[in-house]
Amino acid sequence: MTTPHPTTAADGGGRLIVDGLEKHYSLDGADVPVVKGVTFTIEPGTFTSLLGPSGCGKTTTLRCVAGLETSNGGTISLDGRVLSTASSHVSPDKRDVGMVFQNYAIWPHMSVFANAVFPLQVSGSRLPKQEARKRAMEALELVQLDGYAHRPATALSGGQQQRLALARALAHRPKLLLLDEPLSNLDAKLRDTMRNELRRLQQQLGITALYVTHDQSEALSMSDRVAVMNGGRIVQEATPRELYYQPADRFVADFVGRVNMIPAVVQGRDANGDAIVSAFGTKLVTPCPAELGTGSEVTVTFRPESVRWHETAPDRPNVLPARVVRVEFLGEIVEVEVEVLDGRAVAGTLVARGAPLDSPANGSSVFIELAPPACRVLAD
Amino acid sequence: MSTAGRTTEVGRTRPTGMKIATVIAGAVIFLLLAIPLAVQVITAFRGPFLPFGVSTAKWSADNFVTLWELREDFWAVLGSTAVFVGGSTIISLLLAFGLAWVTVRTDVPFRRVISVLVVVPFIIPPIVKAQAYQLMLSPESGVLNQLLRLLPGDLVIDPYSFATMTVVQSLTNVTFPFLMIVPILTSMDGSLEESARVSGASWGQTLRRVTLPMLWPGLLGVAVLTGILGLGSLEIPLLFGQEAGKNIFALKLWNLISAGAGELPQYGLAAAWGCVFLVITTIAFVIYLRATRSAERRASISGKGFRPTIMKLGAWKVPVLVAVFVFVLLTAILPMFALLWSAITPYPIAFSFEALASQTQWGAFGEVLADPEFWASLGRTLLIAGASATIACVAATVLAYGIARGRRTGWSKGMDLFASSSVAIPAVIAGFAMFLTFLVINPVIPLAGTIVALVIAYSYRVSIAYRSGYSATLQIRKELEEAALVSGASPLEGFRRVVVPLLLPTVFAVWIQMFILGTNEFTLPAFLATPESRPLSVYMYAMISPRSAQLYQPDQGAAMALIFTLLVFAIGYGLQWAVSLRAIGRARRRLTIPGLGTRATAAVPNDPPAPATRAVAAQGLEEQRELASVAE
Ligand SMILES: Nc1ncnc2c1ncn2[C@@H]1O[C@H](COP(=O)(O)OP(=O)(O)OP(=O)(O)O)[C@@H](O)[C@H]1O
Ligand SMILES: [Mg+2]
Repeated sequence: MTTPHPTTAADGGGRLIVDGLEKHYSLDGADVPVVKGVTFTIEPGTFTSLLGPSGCGKTTTLRCVAGLETSNGGTISLDGRVLSTASSHVSPDKRDVGMVFQNYAIWPHMSVFANAVFPLQVSGSRLPKQEARKRAMEALELVQLDGYAHRPATALSGGQQQRLALARALAHRPKLLLLDEPLSNLDAKLRDTMRNELRRLQQQLGITALYVTHDQSEALSMSDRVAVMNGGRIVQEATPRELYYQPADRFVADFVGRVNMIPAVVQGRDANGDAIVSAFGTKLVTPCPAELGTGSEVTVTFRPESVRWHETAPDRPNVLPARVVRVEFLGEIVEVEVEVLDGRAVAGTLVARGAPLDSPANGSSVFIELAPPACRVLAD
Repeated sequence: MSTAGRTTEVGRTRPTGMKIATVIAGAVIFLLLAIPLAVQVITAFRGPFLPFGVSTAKWSADNFVTLWELREDFWAVLGSTAVFVGGSTIISLLLAFGLAWVTVRTDVPFRRVISVLVVVPFIIPPIVKAQAYQLMLSPESGVLNQLLRLLPGDLVIDPYSFATMTVVQSLTNVTFPFLMIVPILTSMDGSLEESARVSGASWGQTLRRVTLPMLWPGLLGVAVLTGILGLGSLEIPLLFGQEAGKNIFALKLWNLISAGAGELPQYGLAAAWGCVFLVITTIAFVIYLRATRSAERRASISGKGFRPTIMKLGAWKVPVLVAVFVFVLLTAILPMFALLWSAITPYPIAFSFEALASQTQWGAFGEVLADPEFWASLGRTLLIAGASATIACVAATVLAYGIARGRRTGWSKGMDLFASSSVAIPAVIAGFAMFLTFLVINPVIPLAGTIVALVIAYSYRVSIAYRSGYSATLQIRKELEEAALVSGASPLEGFRRVVVPLLLPTVFAVWIQMFILGTNEFTLPAFLATPESRPLSVYMYAMISPRSAQLYQPDQGAAMALIFTLLVFAIGYGLQWAVSLRAIGRARRRLTIPGLGTRATAAVPNDPPAPATRAVAAQGLEEQRELASVAE
């Protein structure tokens, strides 16, 4: 059988376009929508993460791309080739993708080598024996498992199995690499190492990668772009920095990293065009989209690490008197919870993070500074 | 749009060829079980003899009316059977539980040896066991009665009393419940008992208040299966019970259809009896299903990965060991000795060293080995057992895979239940129903009395293979198949290269188990075989039954029983050995990858395997153990 789409060289990652993807499951006769019109594009050779809370449909989206699930609507295409529409479905073995499963799915009855060479022996991209062997060994070398080739696959540690799964997914040089929480079964140290290694490999091979995770630090550190999912929809798709500093809504702000949120009302604009809002019984200056006019109820968000504390009030905007109620030492950082004071009354609480050395004492009075560029206003 | 990829209708990862195979396998199993039972029910309602092709056949409830008219007989059969089956089941279960407890939960020495010795009788054909007990209990020459005479008091066991028969039946059936209770005890979370002990309960209180309440659904399930097994076996009642046991169901059925000269056998009445007991076992099966479901629920509540706590026996070690020794003496040593003694003496004489010196002869073994019919019936035994095990394993595994992986529908749930149900059909009923079926279809498909008929009948134990295949499929995580698909394997390639190799060890183990059951089978061929198709078990019975005039040769019968037992041992071990060789061969082949050479292992060898594959590896180990215990 001839393969209609011969596998391209590894440096040819493909462009993945997912447009309006829909997927329902039927549960006890009822149709439950799980993926509701997901749209995104991954440029060739880039790394995109799907980030979202448990049950939001990340795995389902990934499995639709792999062809393991049949979608109910929308199109998926890879390098211009349509893989699925509402009415057609290319089976997984014809899609030219590689996939790493959450629990690795290493075949326990095969050796390490047999696992890696499998994709080169089956109809998807069958190669002559010698060639297949060479490529499989290359893939194992890539993940530094070439010394283990003759081992039974069950005699590998968790991290090694993870790397073998990666080698197997890359052996046939697919256009697209799919990864479903591949690091979640590893311990924290190994997870960090593998994170770097995975990213290095992806860039070295220039392969297009779609990575599913619910761990925001993983998504932020590895990806070119991150798509945040919630309830079967993509709520924001951006670079990690954009996502972190300019979250599109409260869900993203809250899900990606820690955030302080303060309800506020727009009072007017200053000379720079920044908004003046009332919050904590006082006025704050913050950048604000122009369409939010006076009287709009908004939420001011800012990250704990952009809050600074001072013993004496500096002569800058957005400085508030406060009392320290909790100081938590976390190692490289200290987390401080303060009550912002409005005269004698407590107007609200904030969390700040900073270097441990100059942390204030519990119960002391401090001045809190929220630098305007670090603030972001979200419409309610 | 590219048309390169094949377009499939639903995202099933199962080859559609598999769907067809599943349906075929389902149909085979359905026909295998449903037709004989249907024929039996129809026979019960259509006349005194055969339901079709004879002038007397017409729809009526006469047979059930007859049952009611002979209600004294009816109650006698129910009572007798209940006492016999119930009594022997309770004794077997107590013995099995005690032995399992001793081997799993105490620090008794020689635990491994004990568990092997308890399992050994499993491989002795039941008809051989029955014969051995008969010899051992013979009032004059029996070795057990001889031993009892050494004790003070005038103790002689009457081999043909109802109580003896019940006890003998229970002694022959200990291994089956033992093999089922051991895993239940092993998987029990010891911390639950420990917390009871910490709360101040004694061992006895803990057993009564915590252990037994936790175990009882599992034990109830074992009891039901042991009971159905006992209800279905003909061997002990046939050899011991012609007088005291004539009202035991298995023998009753047998006598009803082996009519005296000049009479027509009462198939209709026998079928009515069969229906009555089928209702009883169906109820028992429902109880079994409930019990196992509730046992599973309890198992899932208790945590996993705990070792059962070990009870320190202390001074009790010696009495426990003595009790175990008496058990082994009664179930393995004395029976084998009685057979041997019978084989080497020309007529029944009591054991004495004088007799050993002057009266013994080894000719019986030579005669057996020179008997062409021995070899012929042995060949038939292997053929029938092998063919039926193969049919059952293939059909059951394919169906189990299809149902375990397919969508749950009403149809698949029904089929699942049906394929699991053959454990609820006692062997005597299966044998009789098959016998009727082949008689009925004989004018169209002349199979009655042939080897083919025996192969089909033996395959009825298909649910053993089905249940194992089902759980083995569930153990193969779906991602393993999906990983093959995204690697570019077509569904069939994935099935062949990933699913089949992972299922094979289980299928082999079950095949060996069913093959040994087949070689030992007596009840089914007793109903179905003719002198031209009889397997070794039936031929051997002819040699030891005084009623089979010319063939009656008890010394040759005993010699044959010993040879038979040795053969089954050899086959069991041989197969296990072959399978393990295969496994070793595979591992070797895996180790040498051509063109790579064998590199020194560069790695830390103690890295624990990741949890995901460890489960599969553990399963493999579990199966090897099961295999070992079957072959032992
Ligand atoms: N086979 C199925 N049948 C019915 N519902 C399903 C099925 N698989 C998933 N779902 C449902 O679809 C939703 C999305 O599942 P999905 O596995 O995509 O979540 P996820 O985002 O990957 O979550 P996690 O981070 O926990 O892995 C869940 O609510 C889940 O219950
Ligand atoms: Mg998931």
